[in-house]
Amino acid sequence: MVPIIRVESLTKVYKGETKPAVDAISLEILEGEVYGLLGPNGAGKTTTINMLTTRLSSTRGKASVGGHDINRESMAIRRIIGVVPQDLTADEDLSGRENLLLVASFYDVPKKTAAERASKLLNMVDLADAADKHVREYSGGMRKRLELIIGLINEPRVLFLDEPTLGLDVQTRSVMWDYITTLKRDYNMTIILTSHYLEEIDALADRVSIVDHGKIIVTGTPGELKASLKGDIVTMGFRDGQDTAPVKEYGGIIEILDSKPGTLKIRVADADSELPDLMGFVFKKGISITTLSVQKPSLDEVFLRYTGRSLREDAPADRFKNAMNMRRMRQA
Amino acid sequence: MSGVFPLLMRDLKKWYRNPVFFFTGLIQPFFWIALFGSALSNLSHLGAIPQGSTYITYIVGGVLTITALFTGMFTGTNIIFDRRLGPMGRFLASPISRSSIVFSRIFSAIIRIMVQSVILIIAALVLPNGLKFPGDFSLADVLVIITAIVLTSLIFSSMFSVIAIRMREMNTIFGIVNLVNLPLLFMSYAMFPVGLMAPWIGDVAKYNPVSWSAESIRLVVLQGSLTASQWGSIFQWLGALALLAAGMVALTYVMAEKEIRD
Repeated sequence: MVPIIRVESLTKVYKGETKPAVDAISLEILEGEVYGLLGPNGAGKTTTINMLTTRLSSTRGKASVGGHDINRESMAIRRIIGVVPQDLTADEDLSGRENLLLVASFYDVPKKTAAERASKLLNMVDLADAADKHVREYSGGMRKRLELIIGLINEPRVLFLDEPTLGLDVQTRSVMWDYITTLKRDYNMTIILTSHYLEEIDALADRVSIVDHGKIIVTGTPGELKASLKGDIVTMGFRDGQDTAPVKEYGGIIEILDSKPGTLKIRVADADSELPDLMGFVFKKGISITTLSVQKPSLDEVFLRYTGRSLREDAPADRFKNAMNMRRMRQA
Repeated sequence: MSGVFPLLMRDLKKWYRNPVFFFTGLIQPFFWIALFGSALSNLSHLGAIPQGSTYITYIVGGVLTITALFTGMFTGTNIIFDRRLGPMGRFLASPISRSSIVFSRIFSAIIRIMVQSVILIIAALVLPNGLKFPGDFSLADVLVIITAIVLTSLIFSSMFSVIAIRMREMNTIFGIVNLVNLPLLFMSYAMFPVGLMAPWIGDVAKYNPVSWSAESIRLVVLQGSLTASQWGSIFQWLGALALLAAGMVALTYVMAEKEIRD
């Protein structure tokens, strides 16, 4: 397969700063792939997206989208991509439909085609009833859905989604996920997705790059990254007063993570196939188990492993900042 | 310059759909004419205004120019609004030229100013003791009026767009507008004959584009058919306005293409 996006040592240093916001990142994204960029705030995800969507010029390095160079052929790139930026971009004084038609006219979509597409997209995200209302009357979730379809009005080959579910409630978020899955399945659209929600990347992305301090730390499928942690964690609880030492002799243990009287936390290669053997082994030693839990590795652990920090540590502060951003947007 | 037309239509749509914005824009010229016309009507006794004419006839060129000046100056605020409220991000991601974002606003201002001007002229005509066109008022005179208004609109809406191109703070541009509107207005021939001004203000007013536009319109409205030397003055004023407008448009284009961001 041919990569639709090629990035080679792409670097961005903002004016007046010495530390690059994006530091020599290289990646290739294949046609039809959902590619995730996962990282905390300030990791350089949005800066990368802004360079690839030609909103920002790069300082060094090369990148192309659909074979067009990002610095020399920005118009050609803008024609084939759809962008759903982090901020809301719809004009509040126009209706949802008018916003769609306005953006369609930027791409010279013929009027009739644009009207048909707008109706279809409004239906897709359940905004048909609100289509002719002013956007200022929309709720936060409705506005995000509108932003998504504004990014689709030119039937892009590549769609950039920058934090598509930031600040949304859990329900609206899962609805957005459904739309994104649909786009990939039914239209074979290449989608570049940034997020600092692990679940989101895990649920949607075919491949993911973990980004931190402007650098790509590791790239792979969510499955590969999790597999690189080598194994699942099994936690066992035992009836009081039993000697659990014999359990530690089980052959499938890769690592003993925690051993206290009454509990044992171990790592095994694959809990699904290992568990029956482990149970048999424990029973044969005459030990009885009261509780048992299996923990599959998550991207959170992958992140922790590669960066030494937990991604969730900045979560509460983020949420506060988002709330402030939303308020600022309304007041402005 | 793709994108100018859709963005222009968006701007006009927002204008005529907002009843307050729309009607205040239309009523304001009435106030100008009615208030200034009555407040300063005694000036006609001072001999600055030709016999048989009215003060409103004298001042209509000034009021038309001021309308163009004031509406033009607020063009910049719309660009800042687009930046603060989000649409700018969408425009920058779309395959339209950066300058079309700014020029659509400028053209919209010109169209709104033309509509206001027509209303204003009608208002001046229906007022008692109002605007009286000379008997030999011709098509050439109409063209002079239109040219003067369009060039004035172009100059000031471009000037304030350039100021707004990199600006994020609404208060900054309001401050600048408030700072320059009175000097531009009172250091010009828009309202008063030069004979009534302090000499140094009269000297400054000579170089004020507001004077060039106001005087051009005034001359054709008062005189109708002009002498060769009067035409000479008109070409001088309009030529200067055109040069300034061309310079401002070029500057706006370069600045918009290079510097506009969100």
